[in-house]
Amino acid sequence: MATKEESVFPQVGQQIELSNLSLQQLTQLKQQLDQEIHVFLETSRTLKMAQTKFQDSNDCLEKITPDSEGKNIMVPLTGSMYVPGRVANGKSVIIDIGTGYFIQKDIDGAKDYFKRKVSFVGEQIEKIMQVSVEKSKLNKVVAQKIQLQLQAQLSSQQQSQQQEATKS
Amino acid sequence: MVEEIQNKLQLEVDKYKAVQKDYHKALAQRQQLDGQLNENTAVKQELDLLRKDAEVFKLIGPVLVKQDLEEAKQNVSKRMDYIRSELKRIDDMITGLDKKQDAHREAINKLQQQFQLMQMKKA
Repeated sequence: MATKEESVFPQVGQQIELSNLSLQQLTQLKQQLDQEIHVFLETSRTLKMAQTKFQDSNDCLEKITPDSEGKNIMVPLTGSMYVPGRVANGKSVIIDIGTGYFIQKDIDGAKDYFKRKVSFVGEQIEKIMQVSVEKSKLNKVVAQKIQLQLQAQLSSQQQSQQQEATKS
Repeated sequence: MVEEIQNKLQLEVDKYKAVQKDYHKALAQRQQLDGQLNENTAVKQELDLLRKDAEVFKLIGPVLVKQDLEEAKQNVSKRMDYIRSELKRIDDMITGLDKKQDAHREAINKLQQQFQLMQMKKA
């Protein structure tokens, strides 16, 4: 995520005085901010989806108890085709921990794993939201400045027009 | 004379665009590596949490193959080292491209100024 653009982070290091920027620069800054906020929203949406997936897996574990050993289940071979099967092991599950590695864990261990993952992803969402709120604030301020500058330009134009009118 | 500068300008802009393309490519690559490093770090953490007798499998094609825990840890560490070295390589590349970009931008600016000067003289 960390792109090395010309620093648009007034809070980091160099401070940029917004009122010193020209209208063009302000518009550019606003565009960039809009883009960044969009990326943040997109990212947090993806993270939320991942969180739901972990939560779903966690919920599924509630259904598996040592009692379920030997119980009949339907195993999906594809999304639309199932074969009957039997739970061979109700004590442990195998979970995907990424990069092709799978580990066997007992039910409690697996629940713990998914809970940790859910809270980890939650923390990341939290972080992104914080930055996103900051950016939105900055975006609002920039939008105001643009508005002010536009108004100033407009009124000075009108004034000069009036002056012309009174001259003639 | 004006045409000459125009040609030079065009050439410089083309070069600048090429560098920019490389720059974006390197940036995307960096992002991907960063993601991979994160994933591997998470896997390493998880493996470190396991007891010695825990069962570890690796997905190879469509099958899960049982792996030794120690071996798996070593493999993940090796991968992380590799990704880190790749990251360093890409970072160096990015700083290099950054400098190149600046140089081209400066050259373009200079040529543009020359061009404007010519136009003014003409007018």
